[in-house]
Amino acid sequence: MTLNLCVLTPNRIVWDSEVKEIILSTNSGQIGVLPNHAPIATAVDIGILRIRLNDQWLTMALMGGFARIGNNEITVLVNDAEKSSDIDPEEAQQTLEIAEAALRKAEGKRQTIEANLALRRARTRVEAINAIS
Amino acid sequence: MAMAALRRESRRFVPFVSSPNPINAFRSTIAPTEEQVGLGVRSISTQVVRNRMKSVKNIQKITKAMKMVAASKLRAIQVRAENSRGLWQPFTALLGDTPSVNVKKNVIVTISSDKGLCGGINSTSVKISRALHKLNSGPDTECKYVILGEKGKAQLIRDSKKDIELIMTELQKNFLNYTQVSVVADDILKNVEFDALRIVFNKFASVVSFLPTTATVLSPEIVERESEAGGKIGDLDSYEIEGGETKSEVLQNLAEFQFSCVMFNAVLENACSEQGARMSAMDSSSRNAGDMLDRLTLTYNRTRQASITTELIEIISGASALEG
Repeated sequence: MTLNLCVLTPNRIVWDSEVKEIILSTNSGQIGVLPNHAPIATAVDIGILRIRLNDQWLTMALMGGFARIGNNEITVLVNDAEKSSDIDPEEAQQTLEIAEAALRKAEGKRQTIEANLALRRARTRVEAINAIS
Repeated sequence: MAMAALRRESRRFVPFVSSPNPINAFRSTIAPTEEQVGLGVRSISTQVVRNRMKSVKNIQKITKAMKMVAASKLRAIQVRAENSRGLWQPFTALLGDTPSVNVKKNVIVTISSDKGLCGGINSTSVKISRALHKLNSGPDTECKYVILGEKGKAQLIRDSKKDIELIMTELQKNFLNYTQVSVVADDILKNVEFDALRIVFNKFASVVSFLPTTATVLSPEIVERESEAGGKIGDLDSYEIEGGETKSEVLQNLAEFQFSCVMFNAVLENACSEQGARMSAMDSSSRNAGDMLDRLTLTYNRTRQASITTELIEIISGASALEG
């Protein structure tokens, strides 16, 4: 019994094939999904999605969205998604540093919130590269 | 050489037939040419026909170029539209698309193009919007418009000015991407009160077929109401909703996300349809110009031959008068 996973972003389909297990980050923590999971609809936070195919784990950075799990079909709709193999470590590290600097300089509530979001996105991308386990 | 000189001289005495309305005079010259030649007057000079041929040929070149530009733009945007189609399907699978839902506050979002010369797609969108408006305005329900695009604005502002809530134009000036559309969607959500949003656009079925479509997005309260009533949305209850403090908060986020995804797809599909319609409109225009050019060439040749014959007659009769 395998799960059918679909990861979609507005610009393209990032992933569409069968997997054995996934670990998803939601607002209320990480949830692991195995075949025959109960149907749930959940919001996905800016975080990492881990996919297991036959004892091999793949990481993907997701930038927030929704997930629907039901009947061994998982649909994840996110604003943006990147496979860890597609992220350049140097560039991700640089983006992280720029985001941290921007957060320190941010003034006003709106800028702080935006800087926070940018920081979380950058941090997720760096984590996606480091966490290959 | 002498013939050419004579022809040039004679042109000065030709009465100018084609003055006030050139189009009509054009058609009428084909018939009276024969009788007027018989009277010894060259009816329409070849110069006029040649000018007209030049302008028609220019039009043909321009429309052919416009068609090729539209074809290349279509290719670029078609790929993105097809990629974005997968985005709204899960929402429809989860929440259903119920155009027949009975709500108090309807908002019709009409998506149209900014530039013209694209066939009839804007008129069909406006026609459908007006029909929806009529269907949905009753004693206790109200219906408002949100318009995207210049052409829709021009048509709807004439008779439905008081019902228009928000107008946005020049969306395609910067490259269309999801962030921009989600900002637009955010704007609409903030400023317009709605129970149900009906997005009217032209779905790109193929290069020659554009189907006017309506996509319905319900506000979270209505989703809750309908899910209790059962039916397609009733399945929503079987899902355990996680991720957020309360179910209604998640549903609200879901509805907003659904709206921006559906809008993104609708805007892309409409842009595709616009380019496709422009391609076919410019194609038929170039073909028309080609036909006109053929007819004009025939007239030109006939006029040229008639004037040569008349000059010959004059010369010969003049020469024979001199001899005898």
